[in-house]
Amino acid sequence: MGIAKCSKCDSDSIIFLHYVRKHFCPRHFRELFEKRFRSTVREFSMITKGDRIAVGLSGGKDSTVLLRCLHELSDDLPMELVAVTIDEGIDNYRDATLRIAKRETRALGIEHKIISFKKEFGKTLDSIMKNGGSLPCSYCGVMRRGLLNRAARELGANKLAIGHNLDDVAQTTLMNILRNEPDRIARFMEPQIKHPSFIQRIRPLLRTPEKEVAIYAMVRGINIDHQECPYAQSAFRQIVRRQLNEMEESHPGTKFKVLGSFLSMDKAMKVKSEKTLKTCSSCGEPSAGKICRFCEMKISFF
Amino acid sequence: MKLFLDGRVKKLNHAGTVSALLKKLKVRREEVVVKLNGRLAPETASVLSNDKVEVIKVVFGG
Repeated sequence: MGIAKCSKCDSDSIIFLHYVRKHFCPRHFRELFEKRFRSTVREFSMITKGDRIAVGLSGGKDSTVLLRCLHELSDDLPMELVAVTIDEGIDNYRDATLRIAKRETRALGIEHKIISFKKEFGKTLDSIMKNGGSLPCSYCGVMRRGLLNRAARELGANKLAIGHNLDDVAQTTLMNILRNEPDRIARFMEPQIKHPSFIQRIRPLLRTPEKEVAIYAMVRGINIDHQECPYAQSAFRQIVRRQLNEMEESHPGTKFKVLGSFLSMDKAMKVKSEKTLKTCSSCGEPSAGKICRFCEMKISFF
Repeated sequence: MKLFLDGRVKKLNHAGTVSALLKKLKVRREEVVVKLNGRLAPETASVLSNDKVEVIKVVFGG
């Protein structure tokens, strides 16, 4: 086998980053990854000294790497971390990531709260789908977001860190454009959302491609689960993901450009769209309408 | 070469780079990580006949 050398030293390359046309060895890849993580946190003023941050920890690669990086960042930027895992009740999928989430929080000495659909609503996602439920990703997303916001607040956190990476943000931006939902673009970065119960979400992996998160986990020896959610194939997101990855192959840097467009649109729209959320008349959580999507779905499915 | 993909192992004749192999397999390079003889490798690496290639899917929903 013939392996190219790192663009910065004589070690063997483990990855070629097409968008900068450079090879990286494990050491220099890790350096690049961590530098970008820290600069993203700084660029968007995501964390202030003394913050108490709830980390949405599914136990998948993104949130596990996020937790590890935040924990290491806390040596230089003091913050308190707590982790929250939502167990939707998906057979042969969630158990493995739950084990990883428990192991990581135990190893790092981080408080860990697990909330299950079964305990909260008396039904798992599997049982809802078996009984004729449709659109599992929309449903699961709304319920997860609602539960994470509530748990973060109950744990006394002032911020909620989410493992969304560059791919997620680029996909979300394109999906919102394709569905003609510009309001969602304006809401995505969120600091303009005002509601006493709303916990501000931060996304420190915003500038990190998903594949690089996986490689970073491997370089650091972080055990990750390579299973795909059994419901993921049905999502519109899968189509957008495939198209974006094909464009990234033919036009390296496409995802960064979509992110750039999103940030420009977000800036322009924010001026007009500072938004005070209403309070849901059913549960008291922040809501765009009189009743929040969480309660609408709860009424439909439970 | 010996190929490990989607939990299956098979023997393949391939002379060329990892990138060419992924194209042949119709696998999008953005969605996988490749290990060559147990070590992470860039797509520019050449594959030899006695190499062991592991294609790991790392980008998916959920």
